[in-house]
Amino acid sequence: MPDNVIGSVMVAGGGIAGIQASLDLANSGYHVYLVEKKSSIGGVMAQLDKTFPTNDCSMCIMSPKLVEVGRHKNIEIITLAEIESIEGEKGHFQVELLQKPRYVDPDKCIACGACTEKCPMRRIPDEYNAGLSNRRAIHIMYPQAVPLKYVIDPEYCLKIRKDKCGKCATVCPKDAINYNDTEKHLKLDVGSIILAPGFEAFDAEVLRPYYYGRHKNVVTSVEFERMLSASGPTGGHLKRASDGADPKKIAWLQCVGSRDINRAKNAHCSSVCCMYAIKEAIIAKEHAGDALDCSVFFMDMRTHGKDFEACYNDAKHKHDISFIRTRVHSVTPLDEDTLDLAYIDDDGNMAHETFDIVVLSVGLQSSKEMIELSQKAQIDLTESSFCKTTSFSPVQSSREGVYVCGAFSGPKDIPQSVIEASSAAQCAGADLIEARGSQETEVEPTPQLNVLNESPRIGVFVCHCGTNIGGIVDVEAVAEYSKTLPFVEYATTNMYTCSQDTQELIANTIREEKLNRVVVAACTPKTHEALFQETMESAGLNKYLFEFANIRNHVSWVHKENPALATEKSNQLVKMAVAKVACLEPLDEAELEIDPSALVVGGGVSGMAAARALSAQGYPVHLVERETELGGQALDLYKTWQGEDIQEKVRELIDQVMRDDRIAVHLDTTLEAVEGFVGNFVSTLKTGDAEKRIKHGVTIIATGAKAYKPSEYLYGEDRRVVTHQELDRRFIEDDPALAKAQTAVFIQCVGSREPQRPYCSRVCCTHTMENAIQLKKRNPDMKVFVLYRDIRTYGERERLYQKAREMGVIFIRFGLENKPVVVAQEDCLNITVEDHVLHMPVTIKADLLALATAIEPHNNTRLGQQFKVSVNQDGFFLESHVKLAPSDFATDGVFLCGMAHYPKPIDEAVAQAQAASSRATTLLARQKISISGNVSYVRPEDCSGCGTCIEQCPYKAASFITEGMWAGRSQINPMLCKGCGLCMASCRSGAIHLKGFDENQVMIQIAEAL
Amino acid sequence: MIEPSATLEIGRRKSELKSKAMAMLPEGGNLDLCFTCGTCTSGCPASGLFGMDPRKFLRMVLLGMDEEVMQSPWIWICTMCQRCISACPMKIDIPRLVFYARTQVPRDERPDGILQSCNKHIESKGGAMGIPKEDFVYVVEDVLEETQEEQPEFADMQAPIDKEGSLIMLNQNSREPVLEPEEMVPLWKILHTVGADWTYSSHFWGGENYCMFLADDQNWEAIIREQVRMADEVLGVKYYVNTECGHSFYAIWEALRKYNIPHKFEFKHIVELYAEWMKAGKLQVSSDWNKELGIKFTCQDPCQATRKSLGDYFAQCQRYVIKQCVGEENFVDMVPNSVDNYCCGGGGGTLQTNYTKERLAYGKTKFDQIAETGANYCVTPCHNCHSQIHELQDHYEGKYKTIHLWTLVCLAMGKLGPNERTYLGPDLEEVNLPASTNEGE
Repeated sequence: MPDNVIGSVMVAGGGIAGIQASLDLANSGYHVYLVEKKSSIGGVMAQLDKTFPTNDCSMCIMSPKLVEVGRHKNIEIITLAEIESIEGEKGHFQVELLQKPRYVDPDKCIACGACTEKCPMRRIPDEYNAGLSNRRAIHIMYPQAVPLKYVIDPEYCLKIRKDKCGKCATVCPKDAINYNDTEKHLKLDVGSIILAPGFEAFDAEVLRPYYYGRHKNVVTSVEFERMLSASGPTGGHLKRASDGADPKKIAWLQCVGSRDINRAKNAHCSSVCCMYAIKEAIIAKEHAGDALDCSVFFMDMRTHGKDFEACYNDAKHKHDISFIRTRVHSVTPLDEDTLDLAYIDDDGNMAHETFDIVVLSVGLQSSKEMIELSQKAQIDLTESSFCKTTSFSPVQSSREGVYVCGAFSGPKDIPQSVIEASSAAQCAGADLIEARGSQETEVEPTPQLNVLNESPRIGVFVCHCGTNIGGIVDVEAVAEYSKTLPFVEYATTNMYTCSQDTQELIANTIREEKLNRVVVAACTPKTHEALFQETMESAGLNKYLFEFANIRNHVSWVHKENPALATEKSNQLVKMAVAKVACLEPLDEAELEIDPSALVVGGGVSGMAAARALSAQGYPVHLVERETELGGQALDLYKTWQGEDIQEKVRELIDQVMRDDRIAVHLDTTLEAVEGFVGNFVSTLKTGDAEKRIKHGVTIIATGAKAYKPSEYLYGEDRRVVTHQELDRRFIEDDPALAKAQTAVFIQCVGSREPQRPYCSRVCCTHTMENAIQLKKRNPDMKVFVLYRDIRTYGERERLYQKAREMGVIFIRFGLENKPVVVAQEDCLNITVEDHVLHMPVTIKADLLALATAIEPHNNTRLGQQFKVSVNQDGFFLESHVKLAPSDFATDGVFLCGMAHYPKPIDEAVAQAQAASSRATTLLARQKISISGNVSYVRPEDCSGCGTCIEQCPYKAASFITEGMWAGRSQINPMLCKGCGLCMASCRSGAIHLKGFDENQVMIQIAEAL
Repeated sequence: MIEPSATLEIGRRKSELKSKAMAMLPEGGNLDLCFTCGTCTSGCPASGLFGMDPRKFLRMVLLGMDEEVMQSPWIWICTMCQRCISACPMKIDIPRLVFYARTQVPRDERPDGILQSCNKHIESKGGAMGIPKEDFVYVVEDVLEETQEEQPEFADMQAPIDKEGSLIMLNQNSREPVLEPEEMVPLWKILHTVGADWTYSSHFWGGENYCMFLADDQNWEAIIREQVRMADEVLGVKYYVNTECGHSFYAIWEALRKYNIPHKFEFKHIVELYAEWMKAGKLQVSSDWNKELGIKFTCQDPCQATRKSLGDYFAQCQRYVIKQCVGEENFVDMVPNSVDNYCCGGGGGTLQTNYTKERLAYGKTKFDQIAETGANYCVTPCHNCHSQIHELQDHYEGKYKTIHLWTLVCLAMGKLGPNERTYLGPDLEEVNLPASTNEGE
């Protein structure tokens, strides 16, 4: 490691992965250059309508992050820039960027939009709307864009092309237009590099028989997202493009540009298309009602992620979406409006159906530019042209110090991208710890105004949310109504209240109008409260002088059919919020030192990787494992999907952990008790009879999962029937008997996707491919059969499926209602199943039957209670946010990784371990933490000392005072209090008060509502 | 074919057919890669015939059901049109597998019509209809003479045979000299008009190649080698030009590659030349005759010359020529078309088998496609397509007529004689007749 390590990181790509990596790094003490080739960050996620499987609004959950990046003092966004070259090495790279001219001075532009109104070039396809609408030559990418600065498209601008027009310069009030702007070569010195360039969608025109680009009603899934979106070209009204009619039937064609080595030349599976098609179909039905008929044409339904299978089942049974297992040869236009699909149904009969819209579920691939850059920058790519990584270093590129996250290292969904982003941030930061903080800009908090004795001056900001709210609620009327309410000095509407420019507008309004209370009537505090509170702080107001009226979830989304009443209800909600905010008082947040150490529960691959990652960041770690050795489930596994020897790698990892001075390994140890809270946990560890109390600031739960022990298919009765783990063991021991088998059979989904365990175990299909290939390698003449329900070799794992087929493995599909039957014979096992193509029973005489058994969660109840975290319906731990906080828990200071979260292969487990460490590091690096001001307190003079609150408090925050004049009365530790209000509600003496939710504050709201 | 009640034992079966086929096919034809996704079957007009479809066929081969597969006559109704492989995500070569399966039928047990055609071709050293060389020469000379006499403007037209040092050697589909000699004339007129320096070869003059359909590699190759020898060594031509027939074109195009036959000439399809000559102004046509009439034309893109060999280029040439002749506004395309076109069902030798019912069922897709266009004429350069589409019209009582491209070109040149209009309907019986015939009246 050279001496001159630089404490800054370049993150290339401003999609969700780049955003998350930047935030993690910037919050851990590093300076970040976020380089984006477009004029604003946001990437593909900004174009999505909803996100699966929860159908959250994509922009709604993303915009707080956009704004946070936009105003982070340690993130410098460099837009319109592409990497020219990467020189140097780990710790000190020199990067050359080529920045295209914006023609608008971002320091001057106030995004007023005067320029775009005057621009005469009106018919330029708008990339944000996938070309379905038009934009002007001077434009912003989308209303919530960060940075919200206009940009001129030189290919269309009349002034730049022909020296004509020039209207935008004349109307710009800030003199920000510069037609003579030029390309710039920028040089960055950075310690680490993270590549997060994302993917490009497959060009569907390549598959000509699908008529994309030749018929208006054949659209890509990206276009369909925009057609569904409230901010899209039709305002979220689903229409047939040819004539604007309401569609009656929509078809999705899967694997367009994926799993196709013929015309598409993409062997890989794009991983996300099955789920996005399901989501789009569900949303389409929500928009259009039950009259809409949706059909998804697919090969294998790949719902291998957390809660995906449930979503698939809902789509089938609740939403009545048809799933037709076939690949369609071609789309045949019948006329300008309708399209015929001929297909072979599951019974082998030809069928025809006519559709109004055909959506092509286009696959993900690396862009040509990234492939070229990788070659120039010595970054190895896989056969499918994704960035090459390894299972135990899943975000490390082939070039040291250069990390990768998101779809560039293989197609993946948002949570997995976010996990890798944190993981890459963790690795990039760990390389630079001696320079941590050296490039950081200290943030001076805005001094807080004292408004305590002022009469309330309330500002109300009512959000259109595009058409999300404004399409139903008369937003202007609500703002007008607000002005009539007591103490309201100012009320206005905003197109997107959460956008970056609106934050500045709110802050300025607070100053100009001398506001001391703010109400935002928009969406949900769950995702957006922190954002607006930060805005208030930037204007010098205490953040607790804020109230949210949720006129989206509680009004526009649920009262679509009655706009007048919806507006009336919005008025009422605003009235309640105004009444409450007037009664609110500024609150203080207690500050608390963080113990700079961690507890990792679970000594499998995830736990070990997490411990190593935290140690690499310089923090001491306690690693607790209940078994007598480290390694967990990996001790029974043979090879990773990329072919790495797991035993060798796990031994290496164990060795590194054992030799790491910062890691204290506690084997044969259980976690007996946990006290405390974020920053200051005290845990009791029990080893044998000995108990030990340790202090730690953060906790990572990495307790893994276990293999289901099957009772079906003669397992346990016939020694020829084994599980994958048992087969792996025989591979590890190189059992010569394996090669002697003449016929081997694998049965998939043993215990998975069954009523008692409805989720998919994610890893078993890939595991079967590995083992089938291993058997074929040992004995090429062996007949190998795989009996399956859907093959789910997602991403580049698809190549293993291809390889297995290439080696002659035969795949036979069965249904849940028609499972294989295994009968033991003396010389063989007779396995009978119906062939899915010939529709006739076939019997395989097998010597070996391997069962791909489910992965099931441990009983996580006790651990969950100890850390006050919950599990989902399948028994896996529930993360804080399915999409954007997959490694965080709702409980502060507790993080999650590995199979405790969901079944996953080693590479994903390691990535999440590093991600959890990164998330923990953002906390530990702060050294201090503020505790919410919304806590309860006791007025001891009113307390009767009954102890009910002490019994009730789930956080053990309430206790009796033991000394002094109030001994025997109750007290509440604000550090432990979560502000749930149970104590206040249960107090018969009215002695307990919850700050921000006190009786008068809540009662006045109720009074206003009545 | 399949007994649904029987349980098939597959665990220890050996699939001879599969392993042998894979050894024969380039890259093993990717046979093992099948997803069983159904793309092939959903795009195949032969799906369901004889209870078989391409996916089932491959599946049975992969499961080692060699006997059952070989019992099915489906391999003789599949035309090997390659629509399946063109869309197959794994690029599985089912057409070549079918070809291979045909090779596995003992030669004398293969469909007799195809077998006899191949044998006659070899024996006669002429064409598949087996007429002796003298007869071919006689017919050509006789028809030429008659035309020279009856149509004075073509008095100096030639139809040379074995003329050494010509620029072009042209093959000839047997059907015309044997069954409808007057159909040769329009093509000669075109060649005459552009001043082409061309000749027939009297040795293996027939372009059609039933040995290919018979999956008789040895004789398929032998025929092409003889033609190559004639073109290169005997006649020394620069171009070997194929008439309008599609399979004839493919039989040569593919054989040159498959058997790696060295050759000096450039191999061309006559439709390419029509387009070239028109663009160069050598072949002047006008669509004025159709301005008032507004007779609609569609066209069949033969799989053999389009999807299987020349691709969209062929389709574009053909459309250019037709539109020049009938007027852009009077051309209606089928959907889908060009390389994505459906096979008519007349290829692969099916016309020479007894599976007429299945062949017509196969062609129903094509018939519907043509009917959907509402066109009065389906221009069908390829001979097999021509016969099939003609028969489909008859069988399904369609309203269209089927014509060769030469008929249309000559019509638009104003040079199509009255007795060269066999395939035209009454609507065109007297349209744009040559000046000489008018004078004659």
